[in-house]
Amino acid sequence: MATGVVNTVFRLRSFLAAYARSLVAYGVVAALWIAASLLIAGFGAYAHLRYIVELAAVIGLVAVGQTVAVIAGGIDLSVSAVITVTAIILPLLSFDVDVSGLGAIALALAVAAGIGAVNGFAIGFLGLPPLIMTLAMATILQGLLVLIAGGSAISVSNATLDWLGSAHVLTVSAGIILWLAVAGACLFWLHGTRSGALVFAIGANPIVSRLSGVPIPRITLAIYVLSAICAGLAGLLLLSMNGQGYVGIGDPYLLSSIAAVVLGGTSILGGRGSYLGTIAGAVLLVTMTALITVVNASEGWRSVILGCLILGMLPLSGRDQSR
Amino acid sequence: MSAEGRRLYWLIQWRRNDGLGALFLVLAAFVVLYAVLFPGIFAVGALAKFVQGWFPTAMVAAAQTIVMLTGGIDLSVGPMVSLGSVVAASTMQGPLGIFGGVLAVLALGACVGAITGSFVAIGRYPAIIVTLALSFVLRGVALLILPRPGGFVPPSLSEFLAGSHPTAAFLLVLFVILWKLYQATPLGIGLIAVGDNAEGAYRSGVNVTAVRLTAYILSGVLVSLTGLYVAAQTGSGDPVIGEPMTLAAIAAAVLGGVGFLGGQGTMRGALAGSLLMSVLINVMFFMGLPLVAQYVVQGLIIVCTVSLPLLRSTWQRAS
Amino acid sequence: MSSRQAILEARNVSKAFFGNQALRNVSIELIPGRIHALLGENGAGKSTLINLLSGALTPDSGEILVDGQAVTLAPRDAHRLGVAVVQQELSLAPHLSIAENIGLGAYPRRWGLVDYGRLAALVEEIGGQLGLIESRDTPVNRLPTGRRQVVEIAKALAIKPRVLILDEPTSSLAAPDVAMLMSLIRRLRGESVAILYISHRLNEIIDFCDYVTVLKDGAVTADRALVGLDPSGLVRLMVGRDPQNLFPHYAPQFAEDLVLEATNFRSGGATGVDFRLRRGELLGIGGLVGHGQEDFMLGLYAAAPAKADHFWARGGDGSVRTAPFAGVTEANMSGVAYVPADRRKEGLFLPHSIDFNLLLPSFARHAAERRQSAKEQGITEALARRLNIRGDRRRPVQVLSGGNQQKVVVSKWLPLEPSVLLLNDPTRGVDVETKREIYVALRAMAAEGKAVVLLSTDTPELVHLCDRVMVFHKGRIAATLDHAEASEEAIVAAAMGLSNAHAREGATV
Repeated sequence: MATGVVNTVFRLRSFLAAYARSLVAYGVVAALWIAASLLIAGFGAYAHLRYIVELAAVIGLVAVGQTVAVIAGGIDLSVSAVITVTAIILPLLSFDVDVSGLGAIALALAVAAGIGAVNGFAIGFLGLPPLIMTLAMATILQGLLVLIAGGSAISVSNATLDWLGSAHVLTVSAGIILWLAVAGACLFWLHGTRSGALVFAIGANPIVSRLSGVPIPRITLAIYVLSAICAGLAGLLLLSMNGQGYVGIGDPYLLSSIAAVVLGGTSILGGRGSYLGTIAGAVLLVTMTALITVVNASEGWRSVILGCLILGMLPLSGRDQSR
Repeated sequence: MSAEGRRLYWLIQWRRNDGLGALFLVLAAFVVLYAVLFPGIFAVGALAKFVQGWFPTAMVAAAQTIVMLTGGIDLSVGPMVSLGSVVAASTMQGPLGIFGGVLAVLALGACVGAITGSFVAIGRYPAIIVTLALSFVLRGVALLILPRPGGFVPPSLSEFLAGSHPTAAFLLVLFVILWKLYQATPLGIGLIAVGDNAEGAYRSGVNVTAVRLTAYILSGVLVSLTGLYVAAQTGSGDPVIGEPMTLAAIAAAVLGGVGFLGGQGTMRGALAGSLLMSVLINVMFFMGLPLVAQYVVQGLIIVCTVSLPLLRSTWQRAS
Repeated sequence: MSSRQAILEARNVSKAFFGNQALRNVSIELIPGRIHALLGENGAGKSTLINLLSGALTPDSGEILVDGQAVTLAPRDAHRLGVAVVQQELSLAPHLSIAENIGLGAYPRRWGLVDYGRLAALVEEIGGQLGLIESRDTPVNRLPTGRRQVVEIAKALAIKPRVLILDEPTSSLAAPDVAMLMSLIRRLRGESVAILYISHRLNEIIDFCDYVTVLKDGAVTADRALVGLDPSGLVRLMVGRDPQNLFPHYAPQFAEDLVLEATNFRSGGATGVDFRLRRGELLGIGGLVGHGQEDFMLGLYAAAPAKADHFWARGGDGSVRTAPFAGVTEANMSGVAYVPADRRKEGLFLPHSIDFNLLLPSFARHAAERRQSAKEQGITEALARRLNIRGDRRRPVQVLSGGNQQKVVVSKWLPLEPSVLLLNDPTRGVDVETKREIYVALRAMAAEGKAVVLLSTDTPELVHLCDRVMVFHKGRIAATLDHAEASEEAIVAAAMGLSNAHAREGATV
């Protein structure tokens, strides 16, 4: 019993030491929330803060996959396209037989997983650089989407999605609960399982990983399928909040997902970091957007500040070790 | 230069064609196809128009190549083109006039390039994230200056650059000459040395920081000037016009044999790659395919071009 | 020899990395017209000293003096002052031509542009001296390693150095190039160039050098003229003890039953390899660098594709394979483990903890399990105790000394209970004490019934430790020697391709 406690304390201490950078983001969020609540009327209201977290849930979901991809030394630039794909094809997959709507959801996620599988296969088994493959996939998907959906918005009616978009459990939105569930699963996988540790190994040094017997192709495939499914989930959540899907709905989320990862203290080079920080990163992003909106700043300012934020986080995030 | 020197120089230049044979063949084939579909292409007017369409892609591909040779990458190419066009269209109507506007665009490119280069070369931060972040910043600034396409480009400039004069062709030739000159300087050769073996280059006495910094500055200047050209073409500045050009630049460079790890690739390959892409787009247009199909094709091209050598080496090693 | 002023000098320099003291108050003087040998075990600090002298690193304390004046060097300054270094790790750019590489960093210029005329003339002159027959526009990536080494040397000579530092320059060179290099160096000595020569080949040093400085564990133990020293005297200065004590007593323990067998095994540069490996056997692999031994080992481990006419492997669990392993994972499952040569790039996750490094292969093998910190700590603690790795295991592994890092690279495989252990030059860059510990551990593993394949560039290791030695030459096995036949001369002769009775016996045991 005593050893159990000692072990937990030991793990907690090393966990904290290792993830100190992730905690910085939480500090910044807390500081901003406190300051904004004091200075702006209504900012600190529960409903408003909950709304911020609801919006952050979409980014947070996408960023689950992105975080894992980045820790493994890669990146997924196709997430925004996958979000749009899911949001657009779900209405097309609705059948009368499927009363609850779960069937359509499962199919849509299967499509997303398929896209991720193509990415993962090309990256893990063919050896294509993740940047290139996912960028190319994004381009191809965007072209296909325009060909399929054109410029119109497609409304959806799906029982499960309706529930997702409007239900509250114990005053917490269903969307946030979904995010928490996925986040918990991700954290458990990365820090509580051996295969999660292998993700860190691959990102830290793929050569050593390979020679140590890590099945890199298989794990890579799984990572990109996961990333696509997370993007799919985000797309569904977005759809449930919006009511309709259209080409371009997912576009803001690519850069947001990467920003959340970087702001959360995970190194873009891979091998270290945690989804814990990404959570704070997502909330931080939405908070900043909210603040900018309050100040009536435009899309242009949002973009500039986002970019500067990432640049500012760089010293914390990691340098290129070699010359 | 002595005869010995000339001989060495041209031998080295000829060697740079190694590995480009397939690309040149494919390019020739598509040019022929294009000529068959559109026999009028060889008329002076049509040819000039074609080169004008090709020019921006060629220049961003060249800029991306300069950076990729050092082992880096630039994801801010697209927004920089937009910003260049915006700055051009915004400054030329004022007291600065055409000349001042051009200088402003030049300064913009050089400054942004210097900032990127400082982060990458001096700060040693990964180019991916630095240029990604900068792409946000540049996009934002462009939107702030011109929320909607507008501004003013003097018609005389538009006519000169993108009208009935073969200016684009001359500019391309000028660029190639300048590039050959740069490549004959220690900094220019240093691009490949740093991309190939940065540690070794450092030990050899190459100023690795200066090489990288210069690469980003040159790239920045090229890209912002391309923005100026695009503004002249369209007659106005547009804060989002350059978005698709990042991928186009990477696609062209990769098609031309430029590698991601650095050191590998040539400018002639990148230019050939960009030409091939332009021809492809025009061919698709003539075949009646919708405009967005070109994005799909671009993506497929990249995947195929990058995966073929990888597949080939895997097969070779297995047998 | 009259005492002249040293062109390049290090005075009381010290340098540490991550708390490991690599050099301690080391002083050395490089005097013109003298071939100065720098000797020391792997890990004694030679590379660090060279990096300090050439400006690639700066000392933590002490001074570097050029022509008597203290300077802070960067490689560019070093070049200007006439200091040239030829290191083992090449500084060439593979995609550039030979000529462009030779002039790299010091191009003759005219109006800001490279003067190709003067470059061509310079390359001709130096290329001629070094026997560079290849066309000057050839990209370096078309050249084999040995020829690249020649280009590297040419590059050093191109700046007309006053000081020339050579780190194991003959390790990749073919015999005629070695002779050429020697005569070149002698000529440079005549031209009052100061030469610092690092080599493991004691006979080379005795024949060839005038003066020697010996480094041991980061400190100078001898700094004297070579007159009166013989190879064993040199070794005593380097090792501090009789070489015999380094190795455990040889007691063969191999059984007759086979663990691995193959005919016409080929992978990469290795071809036509017939070999057998018995349980409890310590099989050595020798040969000059780059003659296929590494390719053979990587192919065996399935880190590179391999083929064989006949292949038979019995796994630790009793399973039998009749084809070369399809991949590393399969090799692991069959009980084969691999310890790479370059531990920093291929063997360790440097910024990660010792624990993480030790546990990784176990994680990879049994990936479908949860993390249990108590169990993991138990495993890593046992490993640390077994191979004497001391200190907090949560520290990043890069703070360990080379020797301790090597122990981590070896130990991480032990929880998987491998039946075959492949080691690629495991004692490179490792201090003497750790070497001894590793030798004892290897013998112990063989005694436990594991089969050990030891690839080594250190011939005494092969002589004293191994039950049999397979020597590679040009991708094939030139000789397979039993322990009794395996002497340094026999191994070196086979590695050089010189035929003798044993070499002609061919490959099969």
